[in-house]
Formats: sequence, structure tokens, C-alpha cells
Amino acid sequence: MSSYDYEGSEEVKQESSMIAKYAAVELLVPIDMYLSAGVHIGTYSSNKYIEKYVFRVRNDGLYILDVRKIDERIRVAARFIARYEPQKVVAVGGKPYSFRPVEMFARFTGAKAVLGRFIPGTFTNPYLTTYVEPEIVIISDPRVDTQALTEAIEMGIPTVAFVSTDTKPSGIDLIIPGNNKGRKSLALLYYLLTRQVLRERGLLAPNQDLGVSVEEFETKLTTVV
Amino acid sequence: MALASRFTKPVIVDEISTPICISCKRSIPPYEKAVAFLCPNCGKYVIWRCRRCRVAGVPYRCPVCGFEGP
Repeated sequence: MSSYDYEGSEEVKQESSMIAKYAAVELLVPIDMYLSAGVHIGTYSSNKYIEKYVFRVRNDGLYILDVRKIDERIRVAARFIARYEPQKVVAVGGKPYSFRPVEMFARFTGAKAVLGRFIPGTFTNPYLTTYVEPEIVIISDPRVDTQALTEAIEMGIPTVAFVSTDTKPSGIDLIIPGNNKGRKSLALLYYLLTRQVLRERGLLAPNQDLGVSVEEFETKLTTVV
Repeated sequence: MALASRFTKPVIVDEISTPICISCKRSIPPYEKAVAFLCPNCGKYVIWRCRRCRVAGVPYRCPVCGFEGP
């Protein structure tokens, strides 16, 4: 048996132990869906703030997030967002992989989406045409959307952010741990958040699904010829 | 004598109550850009976080439900 095979079997063992541990806990979606989307995959670095969301460290040094805590935080964040008026919620996505999930989130929940480059002054300069006065800001990746985070801090706006293991939660009021780099992961995180926000608002029944699938939230890959 | 007493006893024109930061327990001056929001979990308690605690990522705890953030 090669060392690679041994590593692989260890991984399978660990993942199956995670599945067995959380079999009794009711999650928003089955745990297989979480694992296949890679929501639990962290990075090779971590910090003290995120330690409580880490499930374990793999042999190669990769930090693995706790799926149960991700699930719990999505519920709390949805409850938090649902208290605000839909027009007063702004979702920011600076990375290409977060364009489609943020756009779909805004479409379903009635929030405002800020995609691509965040024009400085969007939250602070009333003379700009893009000026908005949000009451809550959702940030896809605090390491990318730094301008939005800085302006939210400056204006005293509560922030909710998807945070991976390599991010310091500076200026964030509610962390949703998760893989904020993967295409499928971002899609699933935003899908669950959207669905849960609508459930909290009473627009969906407690066990009702969105009309669309998770794939609709994924950014489509295009081949360049 | 009357002049001296006038200077020793300050006259309070108006009184304001400043919010207290939930993390560091210090009062937040009115000019500071702090943040206030209802507890994300229970929504029963207004949580105030001063700018410094917010930027430093100091954890907070809701006294009603025990929710720990951020």
C-alpha cells in the first residue's frame, strides 16, 4: 500500500466518523451535500479566533471546519438578517465565484447586491450615484471585500461575513464559518442562507425548499478558446 | 465667597446616558462610531460594540441567551 493510499483511507475514516457523529443532528441539508460541496474545507493556516470552529487538522496541515457549527451559524445569521427590511440589506461579492450566489441571494430575498469592484464611498459618500445606506452588510470574503468592511466599520453598520480559517474576524459582528473560496461551497452557503432567511420571514414554510436547485446558485464555468 | 462657590459647584445643564460596550464594559462616547444590533440569536437584547473591540475582534456574549459572537 502506498503512502497516498494510506492517507486516503485515513481521510475516509475521519469523514465517516464525522458522518456518524452528526447522524443524529438535524442539519439544513444532508451532511453528504455539505461534504461534496467542500463547505468544510479550510486553509493551511488558522488563527485563535477561528479555532473554535475547527473540527480537526488533517495530516497535511489542512484545517477542517465543523459542519455542525457552520449549520448552526447559518441559522443564526438567517434569523439576524430576517429582522431587517429586505431593501436595507446589502450583499457584497468581490470575487468572480461569488457573483452568481450573491446575485441569486439578492433576487430571492430582495436585498441589494454589490458585485465586482466596490466603489469607495458607496456607504460613506452621499454625493455618489451608487450611495446606499444599508442597515446590515453581508460580506462574501473579508480578505477580498476590505473596502466594504472598512466603510461598514466607519459607518457603524453590522456585518455578517463568511469566514474561512485564514481570516481574522476584524470588524465582523457575526461569523459564518465556511469555505469562502470554492465555487460550489459559496453556492451552497448562499443557497442555505437564502432559504433560511425566507423561512424566517415566513415566506416559505419551515420545511419548504426554494424553487431552484443549488446548481442555479453556482457560477457557470466557461471555456475560453 | 459667592463667586468661589459658583466655581466649585459645577452646574449640570444636561445629562446623557452613554451605552456600554458589551465586551470591554466601557462607556461609548457619542462621537464614536460604534455598532448596535439586537442579539443575532434571540433578538431580545441590544448589543453595543465599541469600535476598538469590533476591530480587534473581541468576543461578546448575550446576557439573555448566552450566545457568543462574533
